[in-house]
Amino acid sequence: MAKKMKGAMYVFSTTQRLVHWLIVVGFTILVLTGLPIYLDSPIAQGDSGMLIKLWHRIGVVVTAVAALFYVLFDPKRLVVDLKKIFTWGGDDLGWFKAAPGYYFLGDEGAMPEQDKYNTGQKLWYVTVVIGGVFIGVTGLIMWFGRGSIPPGLFLWAVFLHSVLAVMLTSFTLVHIYLAVMHPLMKEGLDSIRFGYMPEEYVKRHHAKLYEELKGKEGN
Amino acid sequence: MTKAMLIDLTRCTGCRACQVACKQWNDLPAEYTVCWGCYDNPPDLSPTTWNRIAFYEWEEDGQPKWMFRPVRCFHCTDAPCVAVCPTGALFKDYNGFTAYDESLCNGCGYCSQACPFNIPRLTDMDTIKGKANVTGKGKSSKCTFCQDRVHNGLVPACAKTCAPGAIQYGEREDLIAEGKARVAELTTNGHPEANLYGENLLGGLGMMYVLPKSPDWLTQLDKEQNRGNAPIPADPSYQLVNFWQNIFRPLGGIAVGLTTIGLGINFLIARRTIKLEGEEG
Repeated sequence: MAKKMKGAMYVFSTTQRLVHWLIVVGFTILVLTGLPIYLDSPIAQGDSGMLIKLWHRIGVVVTAVAALFYVLFDPKRLVVDLKKIFTWGGDDLGWFKAAPGYYFLGDEGAMPEQDKYNTGQKLWYVTVVIGGVFIGVTGLIMWFGRGSIPPGLFLWAVFLHSVLAVMLTSFTLVHIYLAVMHPLMKEGLDSIRFGYMPEEYVKRHHAKLYEELKGKEGN
Repeated sequence: MTKAMLIDLTRCTGCRACQVACKQWNDLPAEYTVCWGCYDNPPDLSPTTWNRIAFYEWEEDGQPKWMFRPVRCFHCTDAPCVAVCPTGALFKDYNGFTAYDESLCNGCGYCSQACPFNIPRLTDMDTIKGKANVTGKGKSSKCTFCQDRVHNGLVPACAKTCAPGAIQYGEREDLIAEGKARVAELTTNGHPEANLYGENLLGGLGMMYVLPKSPDWLTQLDKEQNRGNAPIPADPSYQLVNFWQNIFRPLGGIAVGLTTIGLGINFLIARRTIKLEGEEG
């Protein structure tokens, strides 16, 4: 069980935080090396292009190791996460209605109660999981499939890989912006750095999680 | 002026001199091969074999028939490999053929997948089972139309050496006229299915065949007898590669751009309004 910290709730385990930051490293490598390939940049030509391709593969390994870490070392929390992000209801519709007011004006009056991940965070998490699986599969097809799969499938993989890359990169920009630049999200960034989130913040922004954690403490 | 080659398969004797001349001029080493029950040797194109003779045989009216076919790049005018090549290593030469600059190639292999004729081959410098490329190191390779000879006023090595005159090199228009005349001659002379392959395919092939049979029939024969898988489709097509290259990439840029603009707007508004609330509270 997690260590206690006064006035704060333990929301991300050490494994979860490690996995997150490993993915940050892997995904950064993937974007930095994928971008010149996507843009047909001159540095993706010839021998430097081969080096870029090699580092793109290294990025894949780092990211895959991160995902594997989660599965191996904290499968319980992974299952809980997956259950939470694939549970959708009326409050999610409410979130979409209240989101512009909250994210632009800081008005949280109309915001329905949220679980550990609010609707936007769920959308992001689902995109990462499903998008990650598909970009991984299409990437592996391009990496290992040439010569043993039909050429049409290969070219479709190239195309889908780019579509997914654009999706994930755009959403990542939103993710980083909200965590680092948006005035109301400091607690979220701190929680993935240190694991703890102020109790008051959990109560106001993740009320369902607050109830859940309080219930556990009571037992 | 658009240069081209015309290969008359009814004249080819399968001597493989073009195969040797190609290796000699382009400094390509020989390969170790094994006899596998066919005259094809090597059995497939490779990074060091840009031109090879495929052997076909069939029975017609109780007579055995033989056909020999030099297999190499067709130098399409609208070349799919050039359309997908992300580095510019493959490009169209002002003479009309599909040229190649090896120093630009990063070995992505898209060309080998986009080519409807299955021509470009990759040197995989680090392979599993000769297929997958682990580190991504490698280079594509294919017939270059002897770009170094043609630019110096010489005839491509294969055409230069062809003893029976099956491989002709010259102005494309002249060769089309010549090919048509040859087809007319053949159709009235025991080859009713003779045709000129590649006059208009993919914008016009830079390497055309005079075929004694229909392309579909020969492609089927190739499937049955040939290990190299060298199809000559009657209607080679490629839509997806164009779509991805020309339409999606700008869309992707727009998507990322719009996201950034949206976030910028949010930042400008949220920074002002939310700060004020904080001060009030």
